Amino acid sequence: MIKKKIAFIALASVMSLSVLSACSSNNKNNGTASPSSSASPSSEGSSSPEKKEDPLKFSMYYADNATLPFKEDWPVIQEVKKRYNVDITFEPIPIADYLTKVSLALNTGNNAPDVILYQQIKGENASLALNGAIVPISDYSDWTPNFNARVKEFGLENQVDSLKLKDGKRYNLPSLYDKPFYDGGLILRQDLLEKYQLPAPKTFDDLYTVLKKFKQENPDSYPLTILAGPRVLYRMTMPSFGISVGKNGADGSRTLSWDYANQTYFPGAISDQYKEYMTFFSKLYAEGLLDPEMADPIDGDKWSQKLATGKSFASYAYYDQIGGVAGAATEDGFKLQMYPPLAGPAGAHHQQKSSTGSGIIFPKKTANRPDFERLVKTIDEIFFSEEGAKLWCLGVEGQSYTMDGDKIKYADDIVNSPNGIYKEMQLKYGAGNDVTQLVWVNAREMTKYDENYGQINATVAAMDNAIQAIPPTPMFDDMIAEEAASLQTPLYDAFEVWADGFITGKKSLTNDWDKYVKEMKTLQIDKFTQLYNDNLK
Amino acid sequence: MFKQPKLRSLTFADVLINAFMFFVVLICFVPFLYMLALSLSSPKAIINNEVSLFPVGLNFEAYKQIFTYPNFFKAYGNTIFYTAGGTLIALFMSAMFAYAMSKRFLKGHKLVMMLIVFSMFFSGGLIPTYLLISSLHLTNTVWAMLLPFALNQFNLIILINFFRAIPAEIEEAAIIDGLSYFGILQRVILPLSTPALATIGLYTAVFFWNDWFNGMIYLNTNQYPVMLFLRNIVNGTAMIGDGAGAADKSTIAMSIKSAVIITSTLPIIILYPMLQRFFVAGLTVGSVKG
Repeated sequence: MIKKKIAFIALASVMSLSVLSACSSNNKNNGTASPSSSASPSSEGSSSPEKKEDPLKFSMYYADNATLPFKEDWPVIQEVKKRYNVDITFEPIPIADYLTKVSLALNTGNNAPDVILYQQIKGENASLALNGAIVPISDYSDWTPNFNARVKEFGLENQVDSLKLKDGKRYNLPSLYDKPFYDGGLILRQDLLEKYQLPAPKTFDDLYTVLKKFKQENPDSYPLTILAGPRVLYRMTMPSFGISVGKNGADGSRTLSWDYANQTYFPGAISDQYKEYMTFFSKLYAEGLLDPEMADPIDGDKWSQKLATGKSFASYAYYDQIGGVAGAATEDGFKLQMYPPLAGPAGAHHQQKSSTGSGIIFPKKTANRPDFERLVKTIDEIFFSEEGAKLWCLGVEGQSYTMDGDKIKYADDIVNSPNGIYKEMQLKYGAGNDVTQLVWVNAREMTKYDENYGQINATVAAMDNAIQAIPPTPMFDDMIAEEAASLQTPLYDAFEVWADGFITGKKSLTNDWDKYVKEMKTLQIDKFTQLYNDNLK
Repeated sequence: MFKQPKLRSLTFADVLINAFMFFVVLICFVPFLYMLALSLSSPKAIINNEVSLFPVGLNFEAYKQIFTYPNFFKAYGNTIFYTAGGTLIALFMSAMFAYAMSKRFLKGHKLVMMLIVFSMFFSGGLIPTYLLISSLHLTNTVWAMLLPFALNQFNLIILINFFRAIPAEIEEAAIIDGLSYFGILQRVILPLSTPALATIGLYTAVFFWNDWFNGMIYLNTNQYPVMLFLRNIVNGTAMIGDGAGAADKSTIAMSIKSAVIITSTLPIIILYPMLQRFFVAGLTVGSVKG
């Protein structure tokens, strides 16, 4: 009985304490929030002759990828803190939930950090921006001299301009690429090509021949498999047919495509190009050349398994992943190689790439900071100055690399790591991380990879416009965006169902095509196209 | 005479029933065994699909690696705290609330009951709830995890009905013996309700253990529960794949995923057999005569 009584009292006191401490933590919260904001102007005002200031304190959301877990003690981060006299409170948030967390922070305005990394102004962010939840950073372009200089250096004025919303303002500091990377594409078993004395495929017809031969020699295999799902195949191969539709379509409309010659949108999902595309891949499917499991998501493990065990010989995937598969394969002479984009009816093109990527946004609240100017200037310097960009890309000189003339020499432990230079730099030094690295110079990046990769990239760069630019995003205001979204969803749903039917042969491209086109027209694909074309600039 | 029947030969039905039960146990058990085997196997064996129920190329690399992840143990500790603290608070609050609500003579209990049921079907939605928690200044404190879930309508209804099923005569006897209502709750009702309390305690504990979403939206990084960590490792790279790029490129070894799943789910699974002994109902049978 007494024991129980004690337990009861303990529980009761825990409860009452909890209420009390909840209250007290309120007070603490209030206490810290207001004084800091009211105190800083005085410190800002008094120490205006810059330098020798207190470290600039700010908080920052960071998208944490489990393959390279965030470490506060990465040398790069330590160096940034020291070099730029900043005290950054990083909030690493799991990448799968990053958007939810950012959306909450921006929508409620409560507890928003000062800076958010890895954001694009699209979809919800665009409407949040138009409604004033995000600082229009283009208004403060005087404070971002380094960013402006990089944009000029890379010749990206137009691309950066195209990020502006309907109100003519740009809301983020995007990451900048001097040249697009060819980081993934057709991956094939080079050793088998040689064994069967086949030339490297240059066109989709060549690919068909190669796959056919593979199938002949290994009847129970499915020569071509896809990493992650059809969307990867679509986004990497459709441009050669002159379209880009589906979940990862270049323009985000999912059913429309951009006509590069006439600079307009057209309904790609019901175009003849799409019909031709589907005809090709349904042929592969019908003849057992395309992995039937690709409709389910094939995750990285299963995908590696298929290639390593010889159940498949070709794939559309990323170069980074070759190493892991090759290491696990048991077959003698196993060699995977990545090939330049294949030529289709519309030429040889790879997935369109933007020269700008996810970048930095400032929540509205941040603009109220009395030291906002200093914050923006510092962020600009940290991420976009030549020094800062180099630091995020290569790490600290003398630690992770040394300069030999103008050649970069990486430290021995990095070069000899089984992870490869690129991965080891990320894991151990925090360098080359696409959340924090916002300036990408192709030539500099290539030093992190083997020669082979550099060569493929050089080949692709020499091709005629192999990687096209992302089509311009129409400037919707809130109302039109809403209308477009309500048209887009049913169109995309219908598209998915039919695409699946066409590729697997459940629907016939000859007999059912007209029915499909009719359904898409009933769902107002033409009006959807019109909306896009009417709102271009 | 009484023990004789046990010696009778097995009938066909017995064999069938036992075989079926064995099958059910197997279905529940094999995935765990498989996970365990994966977590202890070499990545090469996993990619080549050689692992079935026993590890191939036994090694502890995966466990070594997850234990060196920054914050893993911190997150683990957080989860244990939320589970223990949250369950205690929830049991305490639910028991108090349910006891009062189980008294039909209490004025307004029907109205309160309607409010409870109403909130089962309609909730404020994510952002209003977030704003509420935020304006109560609970965000970034552990109370954001503990307090909002102290009362669960479903558990409450189970408990109310359980309390109502306890014969009123027992309470009358206790009143005659001079106990107050708090005394009755503490000395009579709660001891008689261990099965119900164990049940909702288990529900609540499992809820707190598995909850990652509330932790993610309300808390700071260093307060995150281990489930968020698990989710990031198991799901993170698969989920973000829509981003058309970077994340499709990165993969995490299956052995690591398995090791994280094993380490983060084992404790709560172990809890089940330990609570088994509380699931004995019928203590009040025969407590009231005639």
